[in-house]
Amino acid sequence: MPSIQAPPGAAAVIETTALTKVYPGDITALDGLTVSVAPGVTGLVGANGAGKSTLIKILLGLIPPTKGQAKVLGRDCETSGETIRILLGYMPEHDCLPPDVTATEFVTHLGRISGLPPTVAKERAAESLRHVGLHEERYRLIGTYSTGMKQRVKLAQALVGAPQLLLLDEPTNGLDPAGRTAMLELIGRIGAEFGISIVVASHLLGEIERICDHLVAIDGGRLLRADSITSFTQASQVLAVEVEEGLAQLQAELAARGLAATPQAATSQAGSAAASTVQGRTLLVPLGGDDTYDVVRDCVAALALPLCRLEQRRHQVEELFRDEEEVPHA
Amino acid sequence: MPEVQAAGVIHDLGYRGYDGPRLGRTQIVRALTWHSFRSAFGIGRGVKGKIVPVLAFIAMCLPALVNAFAVAQGNARLFGYDVYTPALRVALVTIFIAAQAPELVSRDLRSRVLPLYFCRPLRRGDYPLAKYVALTGALLILIEVPLLILYAGTIASAKGGGDVWNETRALIPGLGVGLMWAVLFAAVGLVLASLTGRRAYSTGIVAISCVLTFFLALLLIQAEGGTSATSTGARIGGLLSPFTILDGVRVWLGGTSPGLVANPGRYGPLYGVLAVVLLAACLGGLAARYRRVSQS
Repeated sequence: MPSIQAPPGAAAVIETTALTKVYPGDITALDGLTVSVAPGVTGLVGANGAGKSTLIKILLGLIPPTKGQAKVLGRDCETSGETIRILLGYMPEHDCLPPDVTATEFVTHLGRISGLPPTVAKERAAESLRHVGLHEERYRLIGTYSTGMKQRVKLAQALVGAPQLLLLDEPTNGLDPAGRTAMLELIGRIGAEFGISIVVASHLLGEIERICDHLVAIDGGRLLRADSITSFTQASQVLAVEVEEGLAQLQAELAARGLAATPQAATSQAGSAAASTVQGRTLLVPLGGDDTYDVVRDCVAALALPLCRLEQRRHQVEELFRDEEEVPHA
Repeated sequence: MPEVQAAGVIHDLGYRGYDGPRLGRTQIVRALTWHSFRSAFGIGRGVKGKIVPVLAFIAMCLPALVNAFAVAQGNARLFGYDVYTPALRVALVTIFIAAQAPELVSRDLRSRVLPLYFCRPLRRGDYPLAKYVALTGALLILIEVPLLILYAGTIASAKGGGDVWNETRALIPGLGVGLMWAVLFAAVGLVLASLTGRRAYSTGIVAISCVLTFFLALLLIQAEGGTSATSTGARIGGLLSPFTILDGVRVWLGGTSPGLVANPGRYGPLYGVLAVVLLAACLGGLAARYRRVSQS
């Protein structure tokens, strides 16, 4: 999956060099982070406290780095914060909408604050709300909205200023599975069709990998890994197959059909009591595509095994880190 | 995802970027100021948001209207331009800032809208500045328009140019006093209201601070012999409340109408200094408050 937004030789949209941020009280949020983000849709993954929010604040020019340099769209964050903020759209993680105004009024107002002339702000507010899928509802008070609709308004206000780069902080927060999928599709479409580069911060790797071209993983304020999505996907997408018996036969059968399944290790999946009882009954199969499901089904059917569970494991970013540590030994 | 891109040409969603002119920071701050000024009178809000500011404004205008009738009947002007109706002005300014300063700042704190402002091309000081200018403007409308009605009602029955000239000369210091009130009480109201996002609390904080200090000052002045007394206690009693501080400054600068405080006499400069210190403290507090908010 190549980066579709990147014209040949396009400059990085975000570039940090040895970026360090130490808060008062010797709390190190970023520790010599050097990373370059290409145009396109990029996932920024890290556990809570990994430094994602601090990085975003530095990129927005809201706080200065202690050391190092950060550049957004070729401009220095410390000296050109205002220019950068014209070109950036930001969707915060938390609730940030007043309940007692309509979405149209609110987004129009923020369009004005983004520097749009009055009529343009009005037009773009209506368009942004339409693009995120709010039509007649946009004349209702925001307080009457569902969580999913509020997330859409938050996205619309980030779009209204016609940004070149969107910073989305946990855009699927608080949404149900259907809402998550819809929001991710929307973000994917904005990245693919609107010609806007996007950085999506999330702690759910399994989720954002669906829409990203690149991933940047940070942990403890350091860069863990920055790569194209494909190299991450292999390590992160697995199908867990649980059978009541005949694990070894199934493994052999899968191997015969070209799938390298491994028995689930005791340490994975949080090591709870339940996990240890099913140990020895679960195989982890790398998920290549929809074919994988068919192959697994065929194998189980051919061996007539009692299949208990077939699930796609949603990997949290912590597992990615463990994988990382294991890779050198493998 | 390449096929999605190809499909994008067919399913054109019609997204358009914007390459047209963008407003500079100054104009953005002006837009925010205008927006806030309107919401200080509940414009752009529901009917509920308009009740308090509009009623306060009407109540403030009533004495000036009464004066117009009285003057037309041949009476002299009822109120001095420099004090208007002191008690009513204190009460209505308190109500107005207690209700509307939270409308301007607590609301944004409560719904955590501020990050959406600070991720746009505003600087840290711009937001409190816009709010301050907006509330000052709203208070100017509240305080000065009744003075202008008072003036218009009086000169409507004036006999000859000499009367008009005298009225105009009396009006100008009155407008100056109104400006002092607007400038100081906008700052006092905003800094107190910005302490918390809980609207009811911030209204309470503003109202209680204003009322309590005012009554403390009044009590002290009464205890020391009232507004015509010349004892030191009566002279400095007015330092306890922003309302009486400004009234002290008015008398010190030559205001003659009987007002809220005893003549400060040689303590006049103290009133002046304290008014400036109070204003600086409130504005500094407001700026500091938003420097912290914008980073969190």
